[in-house]
Amino acid sequence: MKTTLALLGLMLPGAAFAQDATLALVGPMAEYKLYVADETQELVKDTRAFTDAVKAGDVETAKSLFAPTRLHYEKIEPVAELFSDLDVSIDSRADDHEAAEADPGFTGFHRIEHALWATGSTEGMAPFADKLMADVEDLAARIDGLTFPPQVVVGGAAVLMDEVAATKISGEEDRYSHTDLWDFRGNFDGARKIVELFRPHVKDDAFLATIDANFDKVDRTLEKYREGEGYQSYEKLTDDDRRVLAAGVNTLAEDLSTLRGRVGLD
Amino acid sequence: MAGGHDPTRRTLLRGFGAAAMVCPFAAGMARAEGNAAPDNNATGQPRVTQAPQANESSPGDYVSPYGAHQAGIVTPRPAHGMVASFHVLADTPADLERLLRRLGERIAFLTRGGEVPQVDPGLPPADSGLLGPVIRPDALTITVALGADLFDRHDWLSPHRPRQLVRMPKFPNDAPDASILHGDLALQICANTQDATIHALRDIIKSVPDQLLLAWKQEGSVPVIPPRPAGEIENARNFLGFRDGSANPDASDAAQMDRIVWVGAAQGEPGWTHGGSYAAVRIIRNFVERWDRTPLAEQERIMGRVKSNGAPLDRRHATEMDVPDYEADPDGEATAMDAHIRLANPRTPDSRRNLILRRPFNYSNGVTKSGQLDQGLLFICWQADLAQGFVAVQDRLNGEPLEEYIKPVGGGFFFALPGFTDAPDDYPGRQLIGAIGRTTAPA
Repeated sequence: MKTTLALLGLMLPGAAFAQDATLALVGPMAEYKLYVADETQELVKDTRAFTDAVKAGDVETAKSLFAPTRLHYEKIEPVAELFSDLDVSIDSRADDHEAAEADPGFTGFHRIEHALWATGSTEGMAPFADKLMADVEDLAARIDGLTFPPQVVVGGAAVLMDEVAATKISGEEDRYSHTDLWDFRGNFDGARKIVELFRPHVKDDAFLATIDANFDKVDRTLEKYREGEGYQSYEKLTDDDRRVLAAGVNTLAEDLSTLRGRVGLD
Repeated sequence: MAGGHDPTRRTLLRGFGAAAMVCPFAAGMARAEGNAAPDNNATGQPRVTQAPQANESSPGDYVSPYGAHQAGIVTPRPAHGMVASFHVLADTPADLERLLRRLGERIAFLTRGGEVPQVDPGLPPADSGLLGPVIRPDALTITVALGADLFDRHDWLSPHRPRQLVRMPKFPNDAPDASILHGDLALQICANTQDATIHALRDIIKSVPDQLLLAWKQEGSVPVIPPRPAGEIENARNFLGFRDGSANPDASDAAQMDRIVWVGAAQGEPGWTHGGSYAAVRIIRNFVERWDRTPLAEQERIMGRVKSNGAPLDRRHATEMDVPDYEADPDGEATAMDAHIRLANPRTPDSRRNLILRRPFNYSNGVTKSGQLDQGLLFICWQADLAQGFVAVQDRLNGEPLEEYIKPVGGGFFFALPGFTDAPDDYPGRQLIGAIGRTTAPA
């Protein structure tokens, strides 16, 4: 029922997008909402296991769950960021805060990452674990009731690439655990999902071929670092491969920045 | 969109007309005689390091990017300059050619200016819009130069490396910061305004995202001075408060530039390099707080010039364009033997081989962790022979008293490609791509 209402919300007048284009996009928008719902459910489930381990003082288990849990968040980052209060408490980095690691406002995944890798202890982390769990559940509840603005969804493909280009390619996101390549995976998958859903509405085969080629290029480069279910440390990434990734991501960000316009949205 | 009522557009067109006839930059590029004069003769022609004059520069100033040499080297220095260094992604000669052609296209548009292309408002704009809907030339130059790293990385490119192009070595007083050193390709971007240089950089970053990755950049500027009486020359002051560039060779003397700046047959360099030039770029931090606490007489002794007027110390009431007589001062009574200008250019018959063309900018970046000003000199010099030029000069300067007040922290050696024309199939680096094609073509 909620989903139906949300979809109806797409058609409310007054929003800054073309009605015709929006109507045509109802199908992929609904599919995207299902994708986000699935990822959010996984995020809640995995965050519970992760925070349980933290509260139990099981550093090794918590470490092993950190990157795979974040993967779900990274895939849906553009939507998650619609709730800026939660994005700050779930995913901000130390340098988003004036007193860095010591700042009381530094909470969420990276606060716990700092404890697990930099200090090697979960001592004092229980309140942060509880807060993270509560924030993630809050996020899931809000997403469930959310009307997705189509511009945010279609534009999210470029936003995901911008995220990598602006604040991830340098390895600064997961600076204590060096699990950045997992986050790249999440951002690439999230962006490609959007392209796949809206592909039928893009009338430019050469454009799509370029996008596909660049996704393939960054995928091939990233897969060189696959290890088991996940990825090697960011520190293993060579300068040459980092540059290939950076150029691919920059190019995708430029090209995908036209996706909204190409499917008829402002 | 079009329309004769747009005043900006009319200004632009007027600017083009003016540029063709009375542009101050045209004179400096046209002059070719006068090789009997001293190196730094006050010929009345604009000097490369001359301080830009207020109200003289105009958005209509057009510096042609075309010719036997790239612009931005012997053309007079405008008020703002930047060096941006990039990593290059080019696996094949065809990739490199594609990159250079695209750079040539952007340079052609950005330096000439014109209306920004209009796109569907549902798409990101084609231009950053920093300069408004009509881009004016604003004396913009973009000089393309390649670093040793690029040649080293590819087997198909390394045989064509300019003979003297190496990674800039660490000199004794340097404190190299790896994050602002070297690079595959450097662009020197100069213009009347900082906005024009930033606009050009952003355009290029957006235009070539798949082949250029920005590694570092340093911006700088030189003070604009009120107009001087005709014939009077003032070189711009650096952040140590001294005139900088007084002894520079006359960039409007083509014969001298052929000897000092442009690579030619005389250097034994690969044929494709002829018409290019070596750049030594040095980001030289100045410890200005310490300098400002140093007695004036000591500052002048260290530099070898009068601070107020730039005159040599053996004739304090002359001008900065007058030349010190070291022969009459063999023991350094007037100008200390280790004064900066005496070490840099001892003015002996031998040291004429070490002349370089300096074209630096002052930079002011922010505040260090210690709470001191992070400012200094974006030193840029051009020469046909790197070993005889910058390296020889720096070797003489090593250990100079000025070192207590300066710390080179970044930069690199780069080779500026030969010039290119507006012919449809020409672009910067065409000569290099041609040379690669000849060596890799099937027999």
